[in-house]
This record gives sequence, structure tokens and C-alpha cells, in this order.
Amino acid sequence: MKRFLILTKAMTLMHLRNGYVLFWNFAFPVLLMFIYGAIMSQFMDYMTPGVIVLNALSFGLVSSSTMMLEMREKSVLRRLQATPLPAGHLVGSYLLVNIIIGILQSTLIIGTGALLYKVPVSAASLLLAYPMILAGLLAFMALGGIISGAVAKSGAASAIGMTVYFSLMFISDMIFPLDMLPGWLQNVVPYLPAYPVTQLVRSAMLNASLDANWMSHLLLLVAYGAGAMLVAAKLFRWEPKA
Amino acid sequence: MSQTMIDVRNLTASYGSLTALNGVNLTVAKGEIFGLLGPNGAGKTTLLANVEGLHQPKQGEVHVGGISVQADAAAAKRQLGIQLQKTALLDDLTVAELVEVYAALYEVYLTSKEIDALLVRFDLVEKRNTLARRLSGGQQQRLALAVAIANDPQIVLLDEPTSALDPHARRAVWDVIRQLHDEGRTIVLTTHSMEEAEALCGRIAIIDRGEIVACDTPSALIANLKLNSMLKATVELPLEQVRTLPEVSNARYTGQHLEVETARPEVTLTALHELAARSGRSIRDVMLRQPNLEDVFLKLTGHALAESN
Repeated sequence: MKRFLILTKAMTLMHLRNGYVLFWNFAFPVLLMFIYGAIMSQFMDYMTPGVIVLNALSFGLVSSSTMMLEMREKSVLRRLQATPLPAGHLVGSYLLVNIIIGILQSTLIIGTGALLYKVPVSAASLLLAYPMILAGLLAFMALGGIISGAVAKSGAASAIGMTVYFSLMFISDMIFPLDMLPGWLQNVVPYLPAYPVTQLVRSAMLNASLDANWMSHLLLLVAYGAGAMLVAAKLFRWEPKA
Repeated sequence: MSQTMIDVRNLTASYGSLTALNGVNLTVAKGEIFGLLGPNGAGKTTLLANVEGLHQPKQGEVHVGGISVQADAAAAKRQLGIQLQKTALLDDLTVAELVEVYAALYEVYLTSKEIDALLVRFDLVEKRNTLARRLSGGQQQRLALAVAIANDPQIVLLDEPTSALDPHARRAVWDVIRQLHDEGRTIVLTTHSMEEAEALCGRIAIIDRGEIVACDTPSALIANLKLNSMLKATVELPLEQVRTLPEVSNARYTGQHLEVETARPEVTLTALHELAARSGRSIRDVMLRQPNLEDVFLKLTGHALAESN
């Protein structure tokens, strides 16, 4: 346990000392809230949950795996592999730090929404929203793990992650309502991973309760998360591809 | 008989269809500095990777400290201190944090005093709060060595510990390696510098194209092959006459310099002076080069070590 804690402390320090991590995970989400607030301040109750999911999605697909990819490219993972550290400790510690960052990021967005745009927040809504945010983060990070395991370079992982992110962002009811999409797409989107998270987080934040379809949303999310974790574990590599 | 710390038996390793090691056998005794000398791509790093448990061999076995790497990699890894070819550390951490973390990965928990004591030995204590990525190349290499022994291992594996270092930094790292040896640790290092191998290693395995072609002390490797010394001088003499001088096995001109291979340089030099005097010539700039590991490598593999890198 002591080994895990020391490693987790080291991972935390590395993230906090990385300008990229600080900007994209803490400064950018707040900036995004300012932008949406400036454009559509009267809809911020509806937009804030969307911004939370949007950031969780980019964090999971791209940001959360950046440092792991860098460590792989610089042979740091190989150096760690040469120690008796079990792989589970490394992945567990990395995940824990990233979950904390993801939750902090969401808290910053909620705080900005509540303080600047009077988005209503209650203990009941937060108690329901945070577990849904956590479930979304885990599923998105697992999907990001598939991308980083499948490609050779961090640049390629970023490009694929951003492509998936932008595609899902526009169609998953985060910013643009579902009924703006063509009919056929409206039938597909509910089965994509970002949509159920958006519905769960939005209903929790707006109504302090979950909508009628919460169980199917959650099951779909768990299926995505579990399936992606299995594939990501299979694709995990200590070394860069030759 | 001294204790065997590393035992490599009939090791064959490959990357896809490429065979990187072919039936390698090797033992390293306690307290040795053992060198793996060979050009880039010879198989040195692959051999170390198999000892470190980072690569699964196709065939054969490796034991470190009596533990099979294949049967219990984690236990085998606990015996080892490792420095990889590329200095690959968590470089957003400070020097002291890095030592603490890498020791902890072996479940060795150092106090702040113990970390400082280790850093003093590597001349890094004043950098204890500096981020690793801000260190110079030589300092990073010394840090990699400090991290390698943070878990107090008896066996230390160093993969090209001085590559890309300037001569001053290289000698500083040599001093550290000698220090580790003086503490009774067993050290295996890879290098493609024969100067480094001769300066540090008690025994050397010459590795080429995935096979060990010779293994002995540097002096025995040279002596066993009965290699000639090289006498160099600036003088104009007919080569056919030089070749008839006593103990001369070959002679040639490189520019204006006469190069004479001889088994007994003192005898040949006397005869060369006599020949020059008879021909009315004077000999200048006489130099003698004893046979070295480069010559051994050339003789054993048919190609020069320097050319291969």
C-alpha cells in the first residue's frame, strides 16, 4: 500500500507540474464556460451539464492518456517494467490521479456555472451527478486507452481522439439538442457512449433526479466502459511500437 | 569457487523473424565488472533485456542471484539495479523524489537522510530539489546510476552508461562505477567503447551478430590471439626489405608513415635502425602501439568495431 501511495503522489506531482495538463484540464474548461456564457447566458442551466460531459469526453479520449503515451515514448514505462512494480499498481495509480483531475475539472465547471451564471446547484443534484460524471469519465478513459494502445505515436492518438471527440460532441446532445439532427442520426446517437452520460448528468443536475430511461443509459455506459477496459488492457504496451 | 550471480544458458531471443541472440551462454561471478563489448545491433541490449526480465527468450534460461527470471520475474527483478540505454526516468520529479520513488517500487522506503547520503555519493545533493529534466547530460546519467542502486542491489546492469557523454562526464561515471564495484556489487555493463571496456572490466564478452565470440580478461583475450604490436615510423625504405626484418609479419605505408606488424618490437626496431643506417636514411616519429581489444574484435569478427557503430 505504501508503494502505491508513493507512486500515486509522484504521478500527482508530475501532472501538476505539467503545463499542458494544467491548461487543458483546469484553465480551458473555465474558459469554455466563459465563451458559452457570453454567447448564451440564459441557457447556462442546460449548457453546464453539457460542458461537463464535453470536457469529460475530451479528457477521457485525449488528455488522460497523454502522459501515459509520453512515458511510453520516452521509455519511462520500460524502466518501470524493469522494477518489480505490478502493472496493476501503475495503471491503478495513474487512473486514480486522472479520476481526481477529471472530478476537479467538473467541479470547476459546476462552480463557475453556479457563481457566474447562477446555475442552480443543490446537494441532492450533486450527489446524483457526481457518480454519473465518474461513470462517464471511466468509460471515456477506457475508450482513450484503446486509442493510445492501438497507435504508435502520441500525435496519432491525439488526432484520432480529437476526431472522435468532435464527432461525438456535435451529435450527443451536449451542446446542440438531439432534435436538430437528421432523423436517421437521432436513431443512432442514443447508442453512442457520450449520449447516455449527457442524459444522466443533465437530468441529475437539472432535476436532482434521473430520467425514466436512466437504467438503460447506465447499462449502456457500463457496457461501453467494461468492454473498452478489457480491450484497452489487452492493447496496453510498455514499449513504443517498433 | 566464487558465487555465480548471473547464469545465462543457451539463450536464443528474437524479434519477429529477426534472431537477436543465438545460443548464448554466460556466467558472471560475484564482485565482477563484466563487460559486453560489441557494435550497435550486436545483441548486447537484448541480452541485458532478457536478464532484466523485459524480454521473453525463445529458448534458454536466465538466473540472477539463483532465481530463474522466466519462473519468477518479480523476485529476479528485486535482485537487480538497472540503468537502461536511454536515461528514462519520471523527469517531472525532483532528484530526491525520483530516488524515493524508484526505491519504493522495490518496497525499499528511504528516509530523507538516506536519500541525501545516496545523492552525496553521486555528487547530486545540491541538486536534490531540481527537476530531473533540468539536469545536464552527465548529471542525468549520474542520477540514473543513483536510482539504479536506490534499492541497494547486489547486481547492477548498466546499458551503455556513458554513451553521449563528454570525456569529463564519462570519467566521472567511470569513478562511480568503480565505487559501486568497490562496495562488492556485481556489475554488468554494455559498451561499444573498447577504451571503456579496458578501463573498467575485469572480464569481457565480445558479442557480434547475436553470438558471443570470445569471453575472458582483456589481457588474456589479447594474449590468446597472439596479436602483434604495431610499430610506426616516418622513414622511406623499400617494403620488400622491411618485410624480411626479424619478427616482422607485415609492413605497409600509410601516407608517409611506415607501419610494421611485429611480434617483438624491440628486435624489429633495432633491425629497422640498422637498415635505415645502411640505406643512408634517418628514422623519425617512432611510435609503438600495443595490440588492443579493437584488434581482438577485428581478428575474431573480420570487421572493425568502430566501423560497425
